Amino acid sequence: MSHESAAHPTRRASMTRFVTRDHRYVFLGTSALALCGLWLANTPHPGMSFLAASYVVESILYYLLLAWVAVSLVALVNKLLRWRGDAYRASSPFCRPRALRAERYASYVIWLIVLLFAVDRVVMGGISLVSWAAAQTTNPTDFFGSMAYMLCNMWPTFVQGVANTVIIALVGTVVAFFLALALVFLRLQLPDRSDNDFVRLLKIVGAGFAKVYSQVVRGTPMMIQGLIIYYAGTGVLAGRGLSASQILVVWSPFVAALVTVSLNSTAYMMEVLRAGIGAVDAGQTEAARSLGLSQWQAMRRVVFPQGIKNAIPALSNELVINIKDSSVLMAIGVLELTFATRTIAGVYYKQMEVYVAAAVVYLILTLAASWLLGKFGRRFDVQGNQVVLGTSDTPAAMPAKGEAR
Amino acid sequence: MMRNTTARQDASPVVRVAGLRKSFGSHEVLRDIDFEVMPGEVVTVIGASGSGKSTLLRCINLLETPDAGHIWFHGQDLAAEHVDVNRLRENIGMCFQAFNLFNNMDVLGNCTLAPVTLRKASKAEAERMALEHLGEVGLADFVHAMPSTLSGGQKQRVAIARALCMNPDLMLFDEPTSALDPEIVGEVLEVMRRLAADGMTMVVVTHEMSFAKNVSDRVVFMDQGVIVEEGAPQKMFSSPTQPRTREFLARYLKD
Repeated sequence: MSHESAAHPTRRASMTRFVTRDHRYVFLGTSALALCGLWLANTPHPGMSFLAASYVVESILYYLLLAWVAVSLVALVNKLLRWRGDAYRASSPFCRPRALRAERYASYVIWLIVLLFAVDRVVMGGISLVSWAAAQTTNPTDFFGSMAYMLCNMWPTFVQGVANTVIIALVGTVVAFFLALALVFLRLQLPDRSDNDFVRLLKIVGAGFAKVYSQVVRGTPMMIQGLIIYYAGTGVLAGRGLSASQILVVWSPFVAALVTVSLNSTAYMMEVLRAGIGAVDAGQTEAARSLGLSQWQAMRRVVFPQGIKNAIPALSNELVINIKDSSVLMAIGVLELTFATRTIAGVYYKQMEVYVAAAVVYLILTLAASWLLGKFGRRFDVQGNQVVLGTSDTPAAMPAKGEAR
Repeated sequence: MMRNTTARQDASPVVRVAGLRKSFGSHEVLRDIDFEVMPGEVVTVIGASGSGKSTLLRCINLLETPDAGHIWFHGQDLAAEHVDVNRLRENIGMCFQAFNLFNNMDVLGNCTLAPVTLRKASKAEAERMALEHLGEVGLADFVHAMPSTLSGGQKQRVAIARALCMNPDLMLFDEPTSALDPEIVGEVLEVMRRLAADGMTMVVVTHEMSFAKNVSDRVVFMDQGVIVEEGAPQKMFSSPTQPRTREFLARYLKD
């Protein structure tokens, strides 16, 4: 047992092994699953249940689950009776090769049955609820019915809100990343011996600007920044003689929101990048400079790639933060998810149902974002072609360049 | 191994240092250094830690900015305002104690970055040259290995090949073997020995007394920011004139 887990050091690998290979799983894991199936089967049929059509089929499935739990119990008793040493494995009728195979196939069948019950009760139940709620003329009184009713009737607003939140967060994060790269480059400038006075002045001013920008933006709330940016824009355009409707075309709350999130996130990303770049050993720059590369070339080719790689986890976090924090921009009237939800709540004068729905959507968005970014970030961990460490001059393994590992 | 350097005495020095001073804060690291390296000469700089050896080396390619004094590289005064340090460094190769290979590139990328970026060499041309130099240091098979997968000795040899790819007039070695375990030191020293035999001008800061004794043309002993004594290795190791030199060498040659 212990040597098995030692051979599979990662938790994920040992979990997979438990499910796909281990005999203990067949009874332990699947009987727990079967109990869930039995519980689902005991819940009432929803309107669109397909199993409700045939009582006989449903009963057979039900008793198959019950039988499996019973068999598992017998196996458990059998195991308890032969607890010591290898007795169970050696002499139990459950452990004969053919029995082992049959039990494993049976466990797949149990999986299938439980899945069937889950679809019938949960998925079809959800669909029935929505179609029922959509057909109502007044707001239902039960929680999920009311939620479905309000979202069905105002789905364009809700979907628009979700889309705008995603767009604002995505575009804002991407734009902020490039702005932050530029700013962090300014921030890290040091006057070099080969610079003339003008370049020196530019570098000092640039570094100072980046520093002040970061302080100001990180020291004020994004809601205030959004309000200032939005009203500054409309003020300037109104001063040039544009009418309110013309202004809305050029400088809508949506555009202002994009600008606000971009500029705000830039400051935070800059600090994250600065930390990542600071973690790159100074020897890397020295080596690059000693070969004759300029400060800019050393940064671009050697330090930045390593610094950005260091910063990837924290940078990804910025997208998650932007998904959530874009909600404060409802202050300037951009129809993002929070504003859309509040609109719907206002129409029906019912709050809990839609806000819970919004929270769930936010959670799904942030989970999806961090999952995707995690996958993306892991690609940077590929260390090229690994050569087995050794002092010998003969490489132990030398796969061709670019070969996936 | 000893080469006849007298024939080159009339040539002009590759590097000439005069009155060099450098301090970090209130701590004076270099005090009035005068120093010369002739073409093809191999100079080892020895001395206790903190004696200013590395700082002297780093001043030569301006990784440290001197406070006072002059450094001439091929007759060009590096203390002048607005010297093109980047152009200067293209001709001075340097190897560090910590190797400092670029971790985001494989061995070939390390060797071709500077030639492609600065010499406008074509990628194919730079790779051909890199392979040649990697072959010289015995690592031709490792072109696509990442630095993290190499041993210390291999890393330092890649670092030497990387510097050679720029065809430098002068190579600076800053304690190239100090981070290596004794078994691996030999493979790096062997590469340096061959480089010296090929006539490369080298300044080597080292604690490897055997290298100083057998390979170098001249040994410079530094202590507390000044050059105490310099001369041919035989003379330095057999009959040093200064008591401080004797004391230092006695401690080293004991074991």
